[in-house]
Amino acid sequence: MRKKKRIIAAGIICAVLLALAYFAAYLPFYKFGEGSYATSLKKIFSSEYIKTVAPLFIIFAVSALGIVLIVCIRKKLMSKGRNSSVYANRYSVRGAGKAPKQKLSLFMMIRWALMTAFTVFMIWGGLLSGLRNENISIPVFSCPANTVQPTEASCYFLSHLNVLFTLPIKNIIIFFVSTLLFTILLGRAMCGFLCPMGLIQDIMDKIRKKTKTKGISANEKMYSAFKPIKWFMILLFIGLCFIGGNFCDFCPAITVSPILAGLGVSLYVSGFLMIFILIGSFFKRRLFCNVCPLGYLVGLFHKVSLFRIKKDCTTCTECGACYEACPMGIKTIYTEREKADVTEANCIMCGECVKCCPEDNALSLTVAGKKLYTASRKNVMSGYAPKDH
Amino acid sequence: MITISRDQERKARQDKRFINKETQTSEKYLRRIEELPGAPEGMKAFLDVLEHIYVDMHGVDIPQRQKTIGTYCVMVPQELIYAAGAVPVKLCSGNYTAFFIGDDIAPRDACPLVKAVAGFKHTGLMPVYENCSMMIVPVTCDCKKKIAGMLGDYCDVMTMHVPTTKNDDDIDEFVDQLYDLAERLESITGNKITYDSLSAAFYKVGRAQYELSEFIKLKRQSPYLIRGTHAMTIMNAYGYMPADKWADALRSVNMSLSLRAVKGEKVTAKKLPRILLTGSPIVFPNMKIPLLIEEMGGIVAGDETCMGERGMWDPPVITDNSFDGMMRALANRSLRPCPCPTFADNSQRIYRLKQLIKENQIQGVIYHVLRGCLVYDFEYKRIEDELGKLDIPVIRLESDYNEEDVEQLRIRIEAFIELIKLRQPVEKNTNIRREL
Repeated sequence: MRKKKRIIAAGIICAVLLALAYFAAYLPFYKFGEGSYATSLKKIFSSEYIKTVAPLFIIFAVSALGIVLIVCIRKKLMSKGRNSSVYANRYSVRGAGKAPKQKLSLFMMIRWALMTAFTVFMIWGGLLSGLRNENISIPVFSCPANTVQPTEASCYFLSHLNVLFTLPIKNIIIFFVSTLLFTILLGRAMCGFLCPMGLIQDIMDKIRKKTKTKGISANEKMYSAFKPIKWFMILLFIGLCFIGGNFCDFCPAITVSPILAGLGVSLYVSGFLMIFILIGSFFKRRLFCNVCPLGYLVGLFHKVSLFRIKKDCTTCTECGACYEACPMGIKTIYTEREKADVTEANCIMCGECVKCCPEDNALSLTVAGKKLYTASRKNVMSGYAPKDH
Repeated sequence: MITISRDQERKARQDKRFINKETQTSEKYLRRIEELPGAPEGMKAFLDVLEHIYVDMHGVDIPQRQKTIGTYCVMVPQELIYAAGAVPVKLCSGNYTAFFIGDDIAPRDACPLVKAVAGFKHTGLMPVYENCSMMIVPVTCDCKKKIAGMLGDYCDVMTMHVPTTKNDDDIDEFVDQLYDLAERLESITGNKITYDSLSAAFYKVGRAQYELSEFIKLKRQSPYLIRGTHAMTIMNAYGYMPADKWADALRSVNMSLSLRAVKGEKVTAKKLPRILLTGSPIVFPNMKIPLLIEEMGGIVAGDETCMGERGMWDPPVITDNSFDGMMRALANRSLRPCPCPTFADNSQRIYRLKQLIKENQIQGVIYHVLRGCLVYDFEYKRIEDELGKLDIPVIRLESDYNEEDVEQLRIRIEAFIELIKLRQPVEKNTNIRREL
């Protein structure tokens, strides 16, 4: 019975998504006039840029409002229930107390630096350097609708296969070869290291941590609900162009890079969805990555990619910290007791599990067999070390 | 009138006898531990605490205003108790004298631990028990469930439901219980558990865990650095010391151990058989088995019992630094890494044992079963099979808090140690012959 209900719910969600995606062009969020679809360095430094970025400000403002509203409503609703103590005045006064925190590791610093650098590079890189190379495609959710970046993201052509096949054969081959090459070389490490959409969601998560707000904790049921949505998103991603829709009008990622690059791209459903994603990723880390079609397509090649998560099952105590920390809800990482390789299609190589693992060498992130980041008890306990050590 | 005074007189006599016997046995075991050679410097602090509690019969050494909360299992998060401004004590008892009194109260097949607790509470003479403002009893087995009801006659008791599996929903449920617990603690201590007080408590317990992991690292890196009985005494003393004091005391032990390691000093020059002790909890003063092992020429190189490393080893990992995230970290730490046999599927324990065997170069495993402790007894068969595959000898020692079976145990342990010695590499034997 319960299963039947779940199937129906999934079906309804998928139908809504399909309707939203198909009729996206009829639901405008913010429309630009003719001729604003061009950009230059001059435009970015002029007052006109503010006009282009306006929809982004609207999105951020509405999401911020939404988050505040949700937190308030939650506090109000929960202050009466059985779990009254969950939200009843337990917040710290002006951040006087600090939850124990481990020292920032080199790996995390590099990850953040790379993500920021790549976001800048993907958005303004072309304008700043003048370099343009439309031949190399990287499978990252950073819109290629702007043609001002040094490399292209493959998401445009993957979601517009009908456009791709009208191109000369040479371009098609270059597209597939470069996309596949990056997929195999980096795999989903791109999600954790390069994706601008990922950066925005990680920033939302950082804000939540700074404000010490409760998030949504790991729950199998939630992750299993994501699964049908994810598959349907892939179907939409690839198939929408053939039935006459445009995935870009639907995709929330479009609100990030083209607008920041100074292109006046009219937003349709994607604007509304971005608000939803921003609010969602505030409470649930990397919400969009859980349903991201491009990411999962790349993830399907996880067996051959160079980035791997390795586990030493003999040292694991099954404390489940990795599972709690994992933004993608990969449970096998803590239940696995035989295999040394725990890489999964969902893994975005964010290194969060390795960071939280209190057992020496139990988890490690490797590239081509070389250990990049290894779990150590010393790191996890670093917050508790006596001062004079 | 006369009968009442006679009753009172008898009660006074009984109490006196109880106190005499209790202090005597505790003193005896403390002496035996002290007499074991190779105690590290700084060990005295822990022995003093045990003496303070069991021989001098005092409460836990804390400021007058502070309340103590009794806990019965490692699954009670101590951080919460510290956050409420109280101090947790572990009340699982290993006392022989109290066990005899509890024998008449609890049914014959109840485990000695529960009988001892019932005995202590019945006599009402132990200050550690009497000072407790509340007792928290996680229901990990049938005996614990019933003892919770019995204790309810004497003091405030809160039971905690321990799930049988470790799914996400079970963790959620446990988090809810922790909130209930927080509320109870607040009403007893009068202090509010806030974000600040909870994070301060995390630092307090975390510091103790930090020292413990240093201690275990030292133990692991150079074998024969410390005797297992001493390590177990240190872990037992944790139950009656505030975490920060314990951490400071352990730090001085760590320093002396690291000095030892640098100088290459060892507890013994011989290659004694390395034995892992697992199974039912071994609580002071019921230290007869580790003492026997070490007196018979073995060394307790590791212990996988509740009173040992198990409860302290895994730190709570905060992945969400809100108040609720910290509560979840506590729930997660309490349930998931715990290889307690109360969980239906406990294959985790086998992996844990294998891990300890590898880390501490264990040569034999002694499986301790308290008479009546069914859950541990159930797991013996599977562990014997699994360790058999690794070619590690295992024996099961069933015992209770009686001292009558000491000779029997001695014979069995001696035989077991001889067996391991025989299995040791032949080249060592030839060396001995040459010396002769």
